[in-house]
Amino acid sequence: MEMIPDRLPPARERGAPAWLRRNLFHGPVNSVVSLLVGFVLLSAVSSLVRWTLTGAAWAPIWSNMKLLAVYRYPADLLWRPVVALGVILLLLGLGAGLSKRAGKGVIVGGVFWWFTGATFVITALAIAFWPSVRLPWAIASGMALAGYGAGLRVPALVRIQAWSWAVGLPVVLILLYGLGGEGPMEVVRTTEWGGFLLTLVLAGVGIAVSFPLGILLALGRRSDLPAIKWFCIGVIELVRGAPLITWLFIASLMVPLLLDVSPDSIPALARALVAITLFSSAYMAENVRGGLQSVPSGQGEAARALGLSGWQTTRLIVLPQALRAVIPAIVGQAIGLFKDTSLVFIVGLFDFFEIGRKVIPSQPDSLQYAGGVLLEVSLFMAAVYWFFSYRMSMASRQLEKELGVGER
Amino acid sequence: MRNAEAPERIPFWRNVKTIGILAQVVFAALVLIGIAILWTNVTSALSRSNLPADFGFLDSRAGIPIAERPIPYSPDDPYWRALVIGVLNTLKVSLVGVVLASVLGVGIGVSRLSANWLLRQIATWYVEILRNTPLAVQIIFWYTAVLATLPPTITAPLRLPGGVYLSNRGLAFPFAYPGFGFRAWLPWLIAALVAYVVVMAVQRRRIARADRPGRAWPWAVAAAVALAGVGYYAASFASDPPETLAVDLNVERGRGITFRDLDADGSRDRDEPAVGFVPVTVRVEEGVLEARSQNLVEQRRVKPSTLRFPILEEGEYASAELRFVNEADAERYEVHWIDEPTTGRLYVDRNGNGAWDAGEEVGEDGVGFRNVRTQLVVTGFERRVVSDRDGQVRIPGFEPVDAAEEEAAAGGAGFGPASLFTAPGGADGDDEAAGPALETSTVIGSSGPLVWSTPTVPVSNYAGGFSFTPSYLALLLALVIYTSSFIAEIVRGGIQAVPKGQTEAAKALGLSSGQTFGLIVFPQAVRIILPPMISQYLNLTKNSSLGPLAAYGEIFAISTIVANQTGASVPVTLLIIVSYLAISFAFAFVLNIVNARMAIVER
Repeated sequence: MEMIPDRLPPARERGAPAWLRRNLFHGPVNSVVSLLVGFVLLSAVSSLVRWTLTGAAWAPIWSNMKLLAVYRYPADLLWRPVVALGVILLLLGLGAGLSKRAGKGVIVGGVFWWFTGATFVITALAIAFWPSVRLPWAIASGMALAGYGAGLRVPALVRIQAWSWAVGLPVVLILLYGLGGEGPMEVVRTTEWGGFLLTLVLAGVGIAVSFPLGILLALGRRSDLPAIKWFCIGVIELVRGAPLITWLFIASLMVPLLLDVSPDSIPALARALVAITLFSSAYMAENVRGGLQSVPSGQGEAARALGLSGWQTTRLIVLPQALRAVIPAIVGQAIGLFKDTSLVFIVGLFDFFEIGRKVIPSQPDSLQYAGGVLLEVSLFMAAVYWFFSYRMSMASRQLEKELGVGER
Repeated sequence: MRNAEAPERIPFWRNVKTIGILAQVVFAALVLIGIAILWTNVTSALSRSNLPADFGFLDSRAGIPIAERPIPYSPDDPYWRALVIGVLNTLKVSLVGVVLASVLGVGIGVSRLSANWLLRQIATWYVEILRNTPLAVQIIFWYTAVLATLPPTITAPLRLPGGVYLSNRGLAFPFAYPGFGFRAWLPWLIAALVAYVVVMAVQRRRIARADRPGRAWPWAVAAAVALAGVGYYAASFASDPPETLAVDLNVERGRGITFRDLDADGSRDRDEPAVGFVPVTVRVEEGVLEARSQNLVEQRRVKPSTLRFPILEEGEYASAELRFVNEADAERYEVHWIDEPTTGRLYVDRNGNGAWDAGEEVGEDGVGFRNVRTQLVVTGFERRVVSDRDGQVRIPGFEPVDAAEEEAAAGGAGFGPASLFTAPGGADGDDEAAGPALETSTVIGSSGPLVWSTPTVPVSNYAGGFSFTPSYLALLLALVIYTSSFIAEIVRGGIQAVPKGQTEAAKALGLSSGQTFGLIVFPQAVRIILPPMISQYLNLTKNSSLGPLAAYGEIFAISTIVANQTGASVPVTLLIIVSYLAISFAFAFVLNIVNARMAIVER
């Protein structure tokens, strides 16, 4: 038997040429695809960049920033929504700092810094261009940093974290709506709200209210009592059967009829929230049901064997495990809801989307441009929506990995 | 340990069963009370506001113009018919959308796993960008920003190969319609269908008896196609136009109708039915088309001093010559043809080089030359047009040369030279009927059972062929692209979920990478992909309710109009919910059958 002489291991290819060969020019087909796609991409990107820098009309968007942000919110009270944002960043920063301290803060921290970074950019813009909101934005940036610093320094704050949200969210709403009377805390009616502020309020309230409702519906759907079970199934499937835009339309028509009051006495925001919450709850219920089904039945049985009551079993054993498993799905739903708030034009609200679609293009200044400015506006809106959705969906995917969902 | 002999009786108020029943009774009572309160509220509110609360309004005249109508419809039709059109439009956009989104989504999903780094990155960013942007923004992007402005207006559409037009009026392409010869072909088609079924059955039995692998369908399809082909050939002999078929065409208005001329007087009377899909060859010996110069906005640019005549394709005319109505204009302006003889641009030859140079199409003040009247004298115009479903025929509206000259003289009153154009013996311009007639002829062509209809652009919209409105295109495009980003993720996940050993085993058996994917990996991935895909299909269908953003008349858009017109909020609400539940249910039903057939059979 003849021995094959020893040979050196094949040289490991390194460096840019090897990377190119491996990833772009691996065989003739691959090379052609690379060149073709590269050419198309390059020409598309270059013409887009040229148009963005020279051809596009960005002036109408720049001059309408206040409209896009808050619509008709009184100009001298603009500090209130900005400080409200600061409160939210403070709470987020607290969470980010605390989890960083605990050594697992990649996800919360990532989201926090993404949004805080945007706040810093706006603060810089405000300092340069918008003197009336300079101070509020600086305060908001400061609050974000303060929250993060406090979380990082004082780990004991972890005990009041849940309570801080419970206090913080009403504070945010009070800041936005006001307390009454004249002066700094005078009431700003919801008909004056709009723009991105309204988009965030709709998405935030929608998710916050639909979360408990969805859990109730999901528990009801898994109930042993047929009356409750079938009621919940009926509600969930009915609501999920028709699209959100139809529920918004139905709410705007039916809510005054159902309450037998004149249509003017119910603000459009309330009607939109009814539809959004109802819709979101049904989807939330299905997400939570998925989580409930993923909890092994042995968990519940063991809890009952230990003498826990049915309610205790659900609250202490089953729900925590179920919700933990569906956090990514819930984040996904929050993103969906955030995008879907663009449909509230149907009830006559002027959210971010409606201002970009209707208000800005019909201004006399915008009509000066041949062909209108909707192309620029729609690209700008897409970029803003994308900025928020993308970071959240990234977080959802990281969470999925961390929780090991899908690996079981 | 429980004492088996004397079980302790549980008091009924602690019995789980009793509590359960009680809880349900209380719950049901609460729900019923709630419904009752809401019901009385609604009825009292309705009676107070005097709004319709039943479905009686469905039979009254709708008066809603709908651009997109798969079945015949006019604004005089009742509400229920408008709503039916809405449902059909919803189905039309969602069924086509589902197919296209699947194809695109699978392509993108596979690209995300490509070995090519560039392709992989592009696919990833495609998904990340489109998934995280609201569909509403994407719809207005495609509709308002791209489709409504990018392709030029109707008289200068993009001409794609194969007679396809794309413009801001939508996409039009040639299409075959059943003509008057179709009836002769029908028996053959039925025979072909029977042949398919019979041959299929026979072949299946033969294969089963031979117990060898084989395919039944090639023979069946061949038999059916052969029979249908022979039938088509035979039927095309028997499909001369019927004697009574006639066309009533007003060349000056550019419109006419094909109909059954029962009393043979050449014009359509009330009781004479219109006949659709009739090929007509129109010939105009000499006629005049009119146009005024305009400053058009196209592709987001102002195009000053533009002349637009109806499109005349190569070979449709013998000669086309431009002239100015006013003599003064003829001396001042020149014409620079962009697309002779359809699109041109007026200019003043300031530097005298005899050709158009940039800047010469506007005056010294930078404003284009508007409202300059011009005429295109066309000789030997001949076009084959096919009437639409309702028998309507459209051609460019020609004016007689002489009358046009008469008018030119009137228009240029006060100028001496204009009188030179007055035709000798020209009629007075007041009475058009008495004026010189156009020398035209119309011939109804023979055709096979199917009439090949190519799109034309008579004036401002397509005629003939098959066309999609820009609304439909924009909504379809947005739905397909948005949904494909979700489908791509499902496909990627499904392919990655196939165990790696499957690929390795296939490679070890000597299959190529294409075979490995097509025969081993993808069939297994499909079973994982299908259930989430079904929910995406349902999402696409429900998302088509964003049609109003693209002015597309689907069920939600039409329902809102109906509700606003009639005030019948409760009935319309019920109709919307029932329509969507029915569509969702039908979709889910069909797709779940498919899924059940494809699913892994658990052993």
